[in-house]
Amino acid sequence: MKTILAVDDSATMREMVAFVLESAGYRVIEAEDGAQGLDRANATSCDLVITDQNMPNMDGLTLVRSLREMRDYKAVPILLLTTESSDNMKAQGRAAGATGWLVKPFDPATLLQVVQKVLR
Amino acid sequence: MKAQQAMGTLDAGEKAQAADLLVTVASTLNERLGVTAVELARSQALLKEASDEMLVAFRGAADRLVAAQKIDCADRPEKPEYTVVLDHLYRAVQHLQSHDLVSQLIEAQKHRVQKMRDKLTEALSLSHPPDARAMLDCIVAGIAHMDQDVHAPRAESMQSGSVDLF
Repeated sequence: MKTILAVDDSATMREMVAFVLESAGYRVIEAEDGAQGLDRANATSCDLVITDQNMPNMDGLTLVRSLREMRDYKAVPILLLTTESSDNMKAQGRAAGATGWLVKPFDPATLLQVVQKVLR
Repeated sequence: MKAQQAMGTLDAGEKAQAADLLVTVASTLNERLGVTAVELARSQALLKEASDEMLVAFRGAADRLVAAQKIDCADRPEKPEYTVVLDHLYRAVQHLQSHDLVSQLIEAQKHRVQKMRDKLTEALSLSHPPDARAMLDCIVAGIAHMDQDVHAPRAESMQSGSVDLF
């Protein structure tokens, strides 16, 4: 079973993401900000990370950069799932090493398709 | 800018009158923004209350579905009725995200209102002794910096957002 780390400061968003992914057979670990996400990623081997951008303590882009510096997460797909939709922010995400950028609100079927694609 | 330039050409009596007017404008605006801040907070609280109730209903349905699937999965893993219920729950997932998006929008407005209120309070503190020019500069700066550090979602509807794979 693939393990996915879902990082978002909104409990509602984490619950929605977790429900969709678990309903498709994935195991989901949750974190409420970038700093906690980094701790969880250190403690557990995750196959995919889905993170929000604007969060307290550590934002999504900083989390992506920090994960890319870790040997175990150099090749792990990382998706930004955020309300930020500017081309500038997406370019920053790409430069930081993110695999993809999804703008909220997300469609569950689309999220699952993207997850399947990046986990292949 | 025009008002700031005009301020430089006033005599002492006119400057005092201008300062009085600015005090009235700043204090009235600050008071109205205070009411707006309270109403924004109320909107957020009402939205949270409604969303929490919807989430309880959502969890109830989702938990029942997962439990039923576990019981039945041995003999019929792909029951069509489960797929129908899951489709309904997925639709709910998309629209339950409205709480998060609208709450972020309200938060952005609260942030703007608070920044303006801080500047108006600062401008009012410059009225003893009255300094119309400094008050006006302070109010203009408040307006100019209202949008700084504001992260408002750009979504126009609850239709799903874009997907970019790099």
